Amino acid sequence: MIKVKNINDFSVDTEDYDLVLKIRQEADIAVARQMVKDFAKKNGFSLADVTKIATVVSELSRNIQRYAKKGYICARKKHGKDGNVLLEVLAYDNGPGIKDVELAVTGGYTTSQRSLGLGLSGVRRLMDTFKIISEEGKGTIVITEIRRRTF
Amino acid sequence: MSDKVVPIIKLYDYLIVPIQIELDDITVEKLQMQLLNEISAKEARGIILDVSMVDVIDSYISYVLSETAAMAKAMGCHTVICKIQPNVALTLAQMGIKLENVYTANSLESALEILNQLD
Repeated sequence: MIKVKNINDFSVDTEDYDLVLKIRQEADIAVARQMVKDFAKKNGFSLADVTKIATVVSELSRNIQRYAKKGYICARKKHGKDGNVLLEVLAYDNGPGIKDVELAVTGGYTTSQRSLGLGLSGVRRLMDTFKIISEEGKGTIVITEIRRRTF
Repeated sequence: MSDKVVPIIKLYDYLIVPIQIELDDITVEKLQMQLLNEISAKEARGIILDVSMVDVIDSYISYVLSETAAMAKAMGCHTVICKIQPNVALTLAQMGIKLENVYTANSLESALEILNQLD
């Protein structure tokens, strides 16, 4: 069981999740993508949503690997109000944090050399809910959900 | 000899590249290198990347593909990306990602037609 350090008083317990993946090297990005993709498929998400989820995991795990060097991708199936089935992805790291979160999430901004700067804004657009908590010097948490569609 | 990650088929002055492997971050860089080397070696005027088997194209993969097309352009070679999967197209558009420097086609025939009409 890994209990995560607080970031802006927000804490994460990996015990709450069905899937917990450590991201440490570039190769882990594709692995995380595949594993969460399989998890989504197994839980009856449509191919369109599975593709979105895989893309989201790819973006978030790349951010972890690139900026924080180490972190976790967690996923779980949840039930929302109205009995909806949701898939939640949580990306967590104890990296440098994001100085201007609004700017980072808006899109077209990057602190990297070879990058479109569209990762976080892309995640926000693809998913149904998006929450980001970041503290400079402490780390970053992204929590995002997608509802299972019936079509 | 540099790393070959995909098979490349020469057709006239063009190279047809079926991408049937998972495009992880390391592989996509190797792909870029392989493409540039083959464009140079075979003096290709056009390349067709068949991505019908690619399930996920995220912002970094998009970046590298666009970058590769720009590099190919510098070598006098056009790039056509062929057969993007519907769900991948959906995801790219929703994320607001545009593939730069590339033509797109829905079939190999259309891709060849596009290349034939260029210069």
